Amino acid sequence: MTNARVELTELQVRQLRDCYRTLRGLAESVGAPGVRAAVRIAVADLHAALEGQALEFDLYTHRWDEESSAHDHTLAS
Amino acid sequence: MVSLEPISTVDVPYWHPRTETMPRDELAAWQWEKLRRSLALARNSPFWRERLPADISSLEDYFARVPLLYRKDIMAAQGVAPPYGTMPSTNPGLGSHHHQTSGTSGHPPVRSFDTTRDWTWCVDAYATALYGMGVREHHRGMVAFGYGLFAGFWLMHYALERIGATPVPSGGMDSRARIRLLVDLRVEVLGLTPSYALRLIETAREMGVDLKRDANVKIIMAGGEPRTDLTTDIIAEAFGARVHNAAGTTELGTVNMFECPEKRNACHIIESIVIEEVLDPVTKQPVGYGEQGVRVSTGIGREGLQLFRHWTEDLVVKRPWHECGCGRTWDYLDRGILGRTDDLRKIRGVSVTPTMVEEVVRKFDDVAEYQTILRRVRGLDTIVVRVEPASSQVDNEVLGARIGTAIKNEIGIRPDVEFAEPGTLPRFELKAARFHDEREG
Ligand SMILES: [Zn+2]
Repeated sequence: MTNARVELTELQVRQLRDCYRTLRGLAESVGAPGVRAAVRIAVADLHAALEGQALEFDLYTHRWDEESSAHDHTLAS
Repeated sequence: MVSLEPISTVDVPYWHPRTETMPRDELAAWQWEKLRRSLALARNSPFWRERLPADISSLEDYFARVPLLYRKDIMAAQGVAPPYGTMPSTNPGLGSHHHQTSGTSGHPPVRSFDTTRDWTWCVDAYATALYGMGVREHHRGMVAFGYGLFAGFWLMHYALERIGATPVPSGGMDSRARIRLLVDLRVEVLGLTPSYALRLIETAREMGVDLKRDANVKIIMAGGEPRTDLTTDIIAEAFGARVHNAAGTTELGTVNMFECPEKRNACHIIESIVIEEVLDPVTKQPVGYGEQGVRVSTGIGREGLQLFRHWTEDLVVKRPWHECGCGRTWDYLDRGILGRTDDLRKIRGVSVTPTMVEEVVRKFDDVAEYQTILRRVRGLDTIVVRVEPASSQVDNEVLGARIGTAIKNEIGIRPDVEFAEPGTLPRFELKAARFHDEREG
């Protein structure tokens, strides 16, 4: 159907994964609201790309809820 | 100097080449991996924690042990703790989008929220569908709907944007304004329901606009309702465009299928984000390829509102992927959604759906619009077709007799035919023409 090269190279896969890890870390650690919002949107966008390539499937937003993590710890203990 | 020529790039036919063309065994493994993680997250939800066994070990085990989820279960869970109930697996406070179904009398709306991650996921699935239909970044697209609470066409708007195409918002516009905009902006992509497409065609005719000649629509995404081939042909012919089917549910959060340009009526299931079983409506056991059953949907992707084995009421027939030649390894639903089990009515022993009546009535050029009513006449269940003639020149008596005979021949029951004044029957923007059952309540 097409000869266009569409598979990611190993280097591209590694770079995408590195970006994702970095952004995920920033999404939890950054305090400045404007930066945090931008980073969280970037995480979601990058996640869609990685999921589409079957490279990553991450359910992460619940970790940003301090109350719910505290609740989870209570239930787990 | 800025070029004003269309952007040209080497065309890749798939939005996500990897997951769209995965060998079936790899696809199944990827689905299970996603399902396994989804089930783990579902332990956060009081609703799912109660319903789902904790030790599901495979896809087969999942199908065998997880109970079906009915609308009443969703409504009950929602009712316990409004607005979203006990189903969320992630705090709705982390949401960034709210949507809900329209709801009707006796049918409260299903409410839905999305986190930023989920919304991106939902939009990406929609982009998979649109891109598959041929939408590209140089296109302009109009989504002809009211930009209200209903999620479906919002997703199309954002999916156009995600692809890099240019969405032209038309919320709050009437049909005439939309037609003018379509013509003026040379819009190539149009999203709407089949019934609203028929309305636009009628309005264009009144305005003296020949859509095929004066407008530039190439790709129509006509979704949200079952339709007949005849309706599709009427729309395609009037616009001079390719008409594609697509459907989804608010419960899943996005589209689950789209019609492939390669094979008419082949609606690929987006199997990278949804696992779809087809079950017998009565025994609830799986049926094989080519057999009609009810679509049961499991979402593998969303984190806020998850969905495990949702009994959709949609009647479908699944066919194997290799019968379509596009290269996708996703099975398809032949002709999309054929009807709904809750729209199926027995009239004097004959099973009738709204689509069956539509198939017959839309063949009459003298019919501008119609309604189907189920009424008890002298103790006998009767189909009443209320017809709005296309003009005052039409001889109602002759038209009524012809419609009556056609329905008797095609469906097996002779209906009563009534007439309404031109322009008085409602045109539906977002809802399939359903039976008005006057026998209930
Ligand atoms: Zn195909």
